[in-house]
Amino acid sequence: MSSTAAATRLVPKFDTDRIAVLALVVVVVVPLLVFVVAPLVGIFKMSFVTADGIGFGNYVRYVNSPKFAKVVGNSLAVATTTTAITVLLAYAFAYAMRRTAMPGKRVFGSMALLPLFAPSLVQALGIVFLFGRNGVINRTFNLGIDIYGFWGIVISDVFYSFPHAYLILSAALAVADARLYESAQVLGATGARIFRDITLPSTKYGILSATFVVFTIVITDFGNPMVIGGDYSVLATEIYNQVSGQGNFQMGAVIGVMLLVPAALAVIAEKWIMRRHHATITERSQPLMVVRERWRDRTGLAFTAVICGLIAAIVLVVVVASFVTLWPYNMHVSLRHYRFEVQNGLKPLWTSIWVSLMAAGIGVVVSVGAACVTRRLRNLAGQCLYFLSILPAAVPGMVLGLGYILVFNDPSNPLEALYGTLLILALCNVYHYHAQGYLIAMTSINQISRVFDEASTSLGGGFIKTLWEVTLPIIASSIISVGVFFFVRSMVTLSAVIFLVTPVTQVAAVSVLLLDDAGNANQAAAFSVCIMVVVALALLLFRLVLRMSGRRNVLLIH
Amino acid sequence: MGPNVFLSLRNITKRFGAVPALNDVSLDIGEGEFVCFLGPSGCGKTTLLRVIAGLETPDAGEVSQGGSNLIGVPARLRNFGIVFQSYSLFPNMTVERNIGYGLACRKWPKDAISPRISEVLTLVHLGDQAEKYPHQLSGGQQQRVALARALAPKPTVLLLDEPLSALDAKVREELRAEIKDLQTALRITTVMVTHDQHEAMEMADRIVVMNAGVIEQVGGAVDLYDQPVNRFVAEFIGRMNLVRLSATKLSIAGERSDDDPYVGIRPEHIELIDVTAADADTLVGRIEKCVFLGSFTRITLTVDGKRLLLELRGRRTDLATGAALAVRIPAAAIHRLQDAPG
Repeated sequence: MSSTAAATRLVPKFDTDRIAVLALVVVVVVPLLVFVVAPLVGIFKMSFVTADGIGFGNYVRYVNSPKFAKVVGNSLAVATTTTAITVLLAYAFAYAMRRTAMPGKRVFGSMALLPLFAPSLVQALGIVFLFGRNGVINRTFNLGIDIYGFWGIVISDVFYSFPHAYLILSAALAVADARLYESAQVLGATGARIFRDITLPSTKYGILSATFVVFTIVITDFGNPMVIGGDYSVLATEIYNQVSGQGNFQMGAVIGVMLLVPAALAVIAEKWIMRRHHATITERSQPLMVVRERWRDRTGLAFTAVICGLIAAIVLVVVVASFVTLWPYNMHVSLRHYRFEVQNGLKPLWTSIWVSLMAAGIGVVVSVGAACVTRRLRNLAGQCLYFLSILPAAVPGMVLGLGYILVFNDPSNPLEALYGTLLILALCNVYHYHAQGYLIAMTSINQISRVFDEASTSLGGGFIKTLWEVTLPIIASSIISVGVFFFVRSMVTLSAVIFLVTPVTQVAAVSVLLLDDAGNANQAAAFSVCIMVVVALALLLFRLVLRMSGRRNVLLIH
Repeated sequence: MGPNVFLSLRNITKRFGAVPALNDVSLDIGEGEFVCFLGPSGCGKTTLLRVIAGLETPDAGEVSQGGSNLIGVPARLRNFGIVFQSYSLFPNMTVERNIGYGLACRKWPKDAISPRISEVLTLVHLGDQAEKYPHQLSGGQQQRVALARALAPKPTVLLLDEPLSALDAKVREELRAEIKDLQTALRITTVMVTHDQHEAMEMADRIVVMNAGVIEQVGGAVDLYDQPVNRFVAEFIGRMNLVRLSATKLSIAGERSDDDPYVGIRPEHIELIDVTAADADTLVGRIEKCVFLGSFTRITLTVDGKRLLLELRGRRTDLATGAALAVRIPAAAIHRLQDAPG
């Protein structure tokens, strides 16, 4: 209607909806800049600060030091060896779970995830109790096994990273198009050939994804190398030694950047691969029915039982050790390690619970908020937000933690007041695990049809109204599981917060490390048990809440 | 068209990346009119509906309602009711809350909401289902609730995006009639998108036939069937034989003899005649295929190597494959079409 230029325009001057979107963008993006980008910038800046001004001096000095090649070599050796072993074991385990008709899958499936709910150094602790200098094996059989070092770290990290690899590979093996397998059988292919030509190719993305995820977890792991590494130095422990041991922040930052590079590359590779991974399963696919096959099922059962037995044994040893007078010399049952007569008593446990609750609350708001905004933006701004939200996945905990000291322990920073508080611990945990929380929320939001948004819009619902009354209620169970995820991670994590705790704000996982470091392994074990009990209770409680609200089949593990 | 132009679309163009969805589309819709956008998938009909709804912003062109420009007005503020293909009811709300949602959004007074919900629920014959959740309802009931939800805030325009295509054939026919009756009773300006010609012919006052982002023809069902302007419309609505004029053994007044254009003939307009009574106007061929389709029988006839479709009423046991058949094409059955077949 070009003739009606003066026609009344119904366009409102201030679209309240745009303001609402903009407000949420600010709420989501500003903290990401402050708590993820700024610490990273801080670490890069610090790595260039030398006695003679800004320059590459630190890098040159570090690269030329004999220690450099050794530490980097150690880290890569541990990470590649562990990755190879873990992915192989986890693939076999997942295959037995998904593609055989063995009994006991539910129990084995839960047991495989046990390491996710224990402090990150429990594996090393358990192995030391078994094979260490004063371990039960060495003491009983007088073998003189030296577990400290490369193999100790590898074994601990295999168990530590096992559930992550298992979850990815299990998902990859869970989907299969029966028609492919039936055609192969009709064409006369043998079992081995079907595995090589169909199963393996269809799970290659899962295998690659698991490989990079495990590599990242292992190369950034701090707790296990600390407990069982002995003199065998890796990048993550080296940062700690430089900063906490020698107060050399510049060198810590340099090593941090060195650690950031392989971790970031692995994460980028993983995301890139998953983007290439188009769905091979269509709505026409027929689900694969597993038929009984005696020997295959028995082999699978034996294998999964052994793996689960080992996983359980390590945790069990820690539990037993916490209840005996003095492992392994005096095996009388005793509760003396639960008196916690040192180091603030049981206070770190309460601190941990409190910090984890805060992290759960804040984590839900920021990661679900980020997911909602990403969906709404759709364009380039949405892609930027996506990148910013998953950026923390590429940042090792040690690096993030060090970045926090550099940024928030600076008197010129108005947020310096946060330093030394419980809130900064919670925030550090939230942004350390932001990517995972965000991706859980993103996945479930993307499952909601856009028709709901459009229906709401056409009925007059604004952005906030739609979010509050339609989107969020639909994904309520996922939101709860995001909260549980942040709670559990915060309870067990060690690497990011190790730099941020003060004697007043010490958290339980750090207590475990310090107790073990002080040679008090039994009390460290007792503290670990307390953490695991809290995590188990929390999971049980959430299960109960979900069941009472009529929501079942909610994944609490990611 | 109704008495006044109510909705006006002017030169609407929309591209998705490099793919053109709408190319310079203009259309006027009258007040209280029921218009159907009909076309194959990918023709731009849904995009055009979404432009009207405000769910898509056109790259160029104007949309106006009663003289007011709508471009830039968010969908939220247009007060148009939309019914989507399926599964658009909020799964976390009861039927009642679903319907009340739009009323609450549009700030209806609290004491007016509940009576309005009952009113529209009665309108769609679901007065007793208010407490149920969408997953407890059948597909047809869900679409009725969606219709009630769209109508509740008294929208100025009702937009239906293939509302019946996900339903079973029987339910679809029931609902067609119901929606049409409701629209007639409420006299609400309605635009429906469909790819089903029967749906369009049964429900619409005017049908807009679309293809490849442009409007091919606008008109009532009878106009489109009897006077299709081109081959696309002719073949999309009903069936049409396309042959050279010379093959019909007819000539059209005023046509030069050396000109031999393509013409269309509806299969049911071809007349069967006795082989013995054949004369100069008669086409004689052999039956290639004979298919019984209930109320009529469809015959594929080969005449001089060219195929001709015939539709004869009832069941024809007397006609067998391979038999000879004589037919005649009445002059009135010839349709001149703008474009030659490609």
